[in-house]
Amino acid sequence: MEVKLHDIGEGMTEATINAFLVGVGEQVRADQPLVEVQTDKMTAEIPAPANGIIKGFNVKEGDTIRVGETVLIMGSGKASTAAKRASSATAQKTRIMASPFTRKLAREAGIPLEKVRGSGPAGRIMDEDIHSHLQVEPPPQETPVRTEADSIPFRGRRKQIASKMVRSVRTIPHCTHFEEIDVTELLAWKRDVPDVSMGAFFIKALSICLKEFPIFNGRLDEEQECVHLQHAHHIGVAVDTEEGLIVPVIRHVEEKTLKDIQKELKALTNKALNQTLTVKEASGGTFTVSNVGPLGGSIGATPIINEPEVALISFHKTKKRPMVNESDEIVIRSMMNVSMSFDHRVADGGTAVRFTNRLRDFIEKPGILLMEMI
Amino acid sequence: MVEKRDLMVIGGGPGGYHAALRAAQLGKQVTLIEQGEIGGACLNEGCIPSKILTHFASEFRKQGHLQKMGMVMGEASIDLAKLKSFREEKIKGLRAGVEGLLRSRGVEVINGTASFLSENRIGIESGHQFSLFEFKQAIVAIGGKMVYPPGISMESPFVLTEREALTMTEIPEGLIVSGHDYVAIEIAAAYAALGSTVTLLMEGRLPFDQSIEREMKRLLKKQKVSVVTEVTIMSVSDDGGVEVDYESSAGTRQVNGTHLVLCGKSEADLSRAGLDRLPLECEGGKIKVDGEGRTSIPGVWAIGDVTPGPGLAIKAIKEGKVAAGAIAGDKGEVDLEWLPAIVQMDPPVACAGWSEEEAENRGYEVVCSEYPFRANGFAGLKEETDGMIKIVSEKGTSLILGIHMIGSGAVELISAGVLGLEMAARAEDFTFPLYPHPSSNEALMEAVEELTGHAVHLQRRRKKAVQ
Ligand SMILES: Cc1cc2nc3c(=O)[nH]c(=O)nc-3n(C[C@H](O)[C@H](O)[C@H](O)COP(=O)(O)OP(=O)(O)OC[C@H]3O[C@@H](n4cnc5c(N)ncnc54)[C@H](O)[C@@H]3O)c2cc1C
Repeated sequence: MEVKLHDIGEGMTEATINAFLVGVGEQVRADQPLVEVQTDKMTAEIPAPANGIIKGFNVKEGDTIRVGETVLIMGSGKASTAAKRASSATAQKTRIMASPFTRKLAREAGIPLEKVRGSGPAGRIMDEDIHSHLQVEPPPQETPVRTEADSIPFRGRRKQIASKMVRSVRTIPHCTHFEEIDVTELLAWKRDVPDVSMGAFFIKALSICLKEFPIFNGRLDEEQECVHLQHAHHIGVAVDTEEGLIVPVIRHVEEKTLKDIQKELKALTNKALNQTLTVKEASGGTFTVSNVGPLGGSIGATPIINEPEVALISFHKTKKRPMVNESDEIVIRSMMNVSMSFDHRVADGGTAVRFTNRLRDFIEKPGILLMEMI
Repeated sequence: MVEKRDLMVIGGGPGGYHAALRAAQLGKQVTLIEQGEIGGACLNEGCIPSKILTHFASEFRKQGHLQKMGMVMGEASIDLAKLKSFREEKIKGLRAGVEGLLRSRGVEVINGTASFLSENRIGIESGHQFSLFEFKQAIVAIGGKMVYPPGISMESPFVLTEREALTMTEIPEGLIVSGHDYVAIEIAAAYAALGSTVTLLMEGRLPFDQSIEREMKRLLKKQKVSVVTEVTIMSVSDDGGVEVDYESSAGTRQVNGTHLVLCGKSEADLSRAGLDRLPLECEGGKIKVDGEGRTSIPGVWAIGDVTPGPGLAIKAIKEGKVAAGAIAGDKGEVDLEWLPAIVQMDPPVACAGWSEEEAENRGYEVVCSEYPFRANGFAGLKEETDGMIKIVSEKGTSLILGIHMIGSGAVELISAGVLGLEMAARAEDFTFPLYPHPSSNEALMEAVEELTGHAVHLQRRRKKAVQ
């Protein structure tokens, strides 16, 4: 029986083999994960379609293969004793030496036990090992793998990001407009609600703007000659990770409170950074936000639309600048630039400006947002 | 009008009611919805009635021994009608107990059928009344539905499900039990003890360490249960009785009986609570959850038979408590590695940890010992000398990897084994403590001593002393 790479997410075409989770000759159960693959959005596992034994692999770790290609061959029935012995030589011992109480300590501290060295008898992990693990600095980030002299791999996620970007720019007539927004009051407002981040506020405000300008939450269907205006606001949040750009999606923002959004934003960002997003968590977006502010530096850029969406908005760094107020005085205000790219086939500049104006109003006077809350 | 609730638990089986009680203990306002009886499959149709049957059967078998010791009683016979009222009374009592606990913890219990309308709304239908609720958190604990092999008519009065088999009104003369796990073995062994001629057709092998499997087969045979493993049923015909054609490694065979019991497999039925309308991530037809019971939808949790893993109340209870804890802000984890496997036959089987074969497949070099209950004095005086204990440990470190037993008292004794496994105990951790004497506990201690050939009460060593 051939186990093939199947389509595990919206329109993926290829994936890179990250790791084999089983060995040749190993007996596997139906649904047991066999291979971990990496697509442009997430890591996923290919499960065994049935019980059987692993006969051999058709690919190597690091290979990039297309949907439909065979990953490995499985045989039916039980492993022979010879095969079993062979697999036992390579099998990993899995017993972790720690008592339930110690495991609880580790869980509460968020430390994976595999990372802790046990100082107790026979390498047993003791309570003190957890405490001391907490005190040492987190391990240094791994340096990117270098292949040959001064070259870095252009495959896997990077390559898939590249082809997606090219496709987007080729098919969508991008138009970007810029705006500056005074965030002084929002910063003041935020002092009272330290649990809510600026990001969560932007996402909520955007969702309210999308209700008024549903065109930007649309999806162009050229064949049917129409734009589907989608009711659900599934907002993608571009996260910059070691491995490149990933866009986890907060679903149904239109029904969520600021607190819910904050919680999900945090959880999804963490998962994106740890590469543990599921297919569902990183697909199905209807509008994308990219908050590059925290990275510093950028005062503007042309964001590339996450097709098939219609628009994408970027928030840039906030800076204190002298501004002229209504009484013609020069005052110091905290200013942030935003850039919004939209599909010029679907919407016009005027609509985009009205959209960002509305967004600006919410950000400049956070109290107004209250009026729009459900 | 939409009513608002903090935490709604859908399903009052062992998973659901444990979750509700634990969440209430941790200060949550809890609403529990149950469409049938509180206690679910476990209390009303599964664990409890099946254990009443197996207990009845093993007590019935003890009479010979009691009379031999000098207890004078008349000739024993079986009154299944009386057993029925005993069972109903016990179940009613246990259910009232749980209902009382829910009341005393302030859990709101709603009688009705819940169905999800969106990711945070539930409708509850009760008679002709329909109410709408909006929740912050919901725990799905709706259990599973039993699925039976296709092509066999369940209409026949001679073909029964495992649940019907627990409440038969007559002892069947010739019973054929077809199944895949402990449920089938329990039913087969119980009716054999009560006088039926029993054939047990198992889908796979008996799912235990090979030494235990061998001993189980021997004892079942001694109790006049013919056991056939790795069976595929080809056809069933019934005409005043049943005739089953099956295939096994021995070829195609036929067996006749008065009744056939089919033991099903528990599958999730997501249409039942409208869950199929939500974008829930699933795994093998069940709701996928993380180690604390979170589903792919924020605020929606799932526990018990509706989630992947073995369909056991043991698992449902643990998952219920962990999910309730997580909702209240605790950090918990469900880890089924050392889940004990139990068969309430006579004598019972209880195992935890890895079999010899499994430990080897995981890359361990293993040392095993086997200790027969025959060598235990207390078992001897009770005339309960059947069975044995097998210990699987790692060579060199004596880390205990598996404890497997068949013998009287095994179900209680395995708790010491599970605790040892959880603590990552080594042989010394089992042999150092003091054990009550005389007791079956000593058999566990000596089984571990036998890893080094030091079991005092074994006359002839089965293995040379190894270190
Ligand atoms: C014969 C037999 C013997 C068993 N023996 C054992 C044993 O010895 N040990 C063991 O650990 N396990 C045993 N089990 C398994 C055990 O019964 C189950 O694993 C356990 O009951 C699962 O618990 P649960 O809470 O997930 O679901 P259930 O117990 O199935 O409870 C689910 C509840 O949800 C309710 N419900 C479903 N849908 C809705 C809805 N839409 N709205 C409202 N309510 C709803 C149902 O009425 C039910 O009460 C046995 C099972 C059987 C059949």
